[in-house]
Amino acid sequence: MLPFLTLPFDKLMISLRTSAGKIIAVYSDMGKESTTLGKEGEAIAVQYLIEHSYQVIDRNYRSQQGEVDIIARDGNFIVFVEVKTYSIGSFGTPLGAVRKAKKESIIHAARTYLLKNNIKDINCRFDVLAIYRSWSGLTSYDLIKDAFHVS
Amino acid sequence: MLVKVNSAAISGLDGFIVEVEVDSIRGLPGQSIVGLPDAAVKESRDRVKFAITNSGFEFPPGYFTINLAPADIRKEGPLYDLPIAIGMLASSEQIKIEMFKETVILGELSLDGGLRPVNGVLPMCMALSGNGIKRVIVPRENADESALVSGVDVIACESLLEAARYLNGQISIKPHTIDISALFSSKVSYDIDFSDVKGQGHAKRALEVAAAGGHNVLMVGSPGSGKTMLARRLPTILPPLSINEALDVTKLYSVTGLLSSKKSLITERPFRSPHHTTSDIGIIGGGRVPRPGEVSLAHMGILFLDEFPEFERDVLEVLRQPLEDGVVTIARALSSVTYPAEFMLVAAMNPCPCGNYMDPTKSCICPPYKVQRYWGKLSGPLLDRIDLHVEVPRLKKEELSNHLPGETSESIRKRVSLARDIQIKRFVSTQVRCNSRMLPKHVKEFCKLDNDAESLLKSAILQLKMSGRAYDRILKVSRTIADLDGSEKIKACHIAEAIQYRSLDRGK
Repeated sequence: MLPFLTLPFDKLMISLRTSAGKIIAVYSDMGKESTTLGKEGEAIAVQYLIEHSYQVIDRNYRSQQGEVDIIARDGNFIVFVEVKTYSIGSFGTPLGAVRKAKKESIIHAARTYLLKNNIKDINCRFDVLAIYRSWSGLTSYDLIKDAFHVS
Repeated sequence: MLVKVNSAAISGLDGFIVEVEVDSIRGLPGQSIVGLPDAAVKESRDRVKFAITNSGFEFPPGYFTINLAPADIRKEGPLYDLPIAIGMLASSEQIKIEMFKETVILGELSLDGGLRPVNGVLPMCMALSGNGIKRVIVPRENADESALVSGVDVIACESLLEAARYLNGQISIKPHTIDISALFSSKVSYDIDFSDVKGQGHAKRALEVAAAGGHNVLMVGSPGSGKTMLARRLPTILPPLSINEALDVTKLYSVTGLLSSKKSLITERPFRSPHHTTSDIGIIGGGRVPRPGEVSLAHMGILFLDEFPEFERDVLEVLRQPLEDGVVTIARALSSVTYPAEFMLVAAMNPCPCGNYMDPTKSCICPPYKVQRYWGKLSGPLLDRIDLHVEVPRLKKEELSNHLPGETSESIRKRVSLARDIQIKRFVSTQVRCNSRMLPKHVKEFCKLDNDAESLLKSAILQLKMSGRAYDRILKVSRTIADLDGSEKIKACHIAEAIQYRSLDRGK
């Protein structure tokens, strides 16, 4: 039996070309881990936001050129929340992780959402929710309200 | 809610009022600044955001548009930080707007909400009275400078919070005042004095004449003969500035950002001595956004150019126009501005590259073509504009070991001031301030020669083949010499002294 058929299907095969031109294959479970981490993180995030009196309206909203993790209502505001999940050993801070391209993607999604649902005259906000998870299962949160603006 | 906050801007040396309009709509959060802002103004968004939150206010939600009107003039610098922050807070009803109509607000914000000083506050404040403006809110460091202007209350603030609480009526701030006459009465004391210079009686007399009439001087002499020493002591014999002159000078320094917070009014005549590597833009002023150059910073004072021929030829030639007109007009694509440049040019040079040409004791090692090239840097038109050419020879042994004290600056200044007083009375109905700035019609009116003087001047012009401008200059210098003498008419001896100060013309 060929070795790769024994692998689970959700593992990724990454092929690399070395400088000598030889192709080597590397099996990685990195991709799976970070997407599941993100998925789990979003579920936890929704829970956290509800506990903090946000009303979650939509999840994983996508526009043509953007996406936003959670759309919620907080008092008079419509809040677009970007969720960042960190396992121990990750580098960086949640604000640093939301770079220009990511911001533009969120802003695009937000604009599309407001336009499609004909929402006018309501103040909006962009929040970043960082979730830190340790191996022992402890979770801590960092909610940054009004994290960035349209420029 | 639409809010209008008054602020100010400068174009050249003239201030004008800028209206900062702030309005917001509900929607995605953000700010945009319109009205030709430069980079520093655009960056104020970030400073304002942190200053507002760090001052304990709530950063207002919604999309803000900030318009700086008039929209067709470029706005520079960070001075709109405070008006923008106040406008945003007022728009979200955190500050009352009752006082806004009569108030002008200026200041740069730091991230902690403190206020930093800005440039050009004095000319801005000068433009405010007469526009229905009652008070101006400025950073504390700019308070003294702003208080020089009468007619507006100066409210000095240390932070955004203080300004906001003042506008809300929660605290009252006493208008900042400054005693201008006290600033003037404090006597200027110099560490240097004319009596420090040994010998050189001829050069001292020439500098006295130059100081009395505001004439330009060129000193030629071997190294170590005391040219630089003499030049540096020239401010000590100049009469003090009048209040209006001092304000003019201070305006220039305020625009350039050279005014220290401790010294709000410049009461001494400026003495500028740029290095000979300075560029023509540095001397004359300019840049993409025009800024005053050395000629303007030396306004009402002295521009001292040491090692005169070492300057780039371009630099020397650009001096010609301000020397004649007393103003510099700088035209750039963005704007055209005029700065005053009524300065006394004092130049010093060696007679040749090695410095020993014509020296009685040492011999010159320069080949003749080098000497010629050295002198060739000074064009005829430029030399024509310099009224007094003075030779400063090397001191003799007896003069060096002489310990007799020379005349002090104090007593020379007395004579100079008397001569200047005569001139002020003479030119009271004109724009002219001293003899060197006389226009042809003034020369005709005021430079009356007696018969001996007339014939002496005629023969001198014929024999020395002097230019028309040199003729004019001789008349002006002799007018000053006659003023020093207290004589109504110009006599032959005055003409004779004036002619001998044109040694470089004679040498040709």
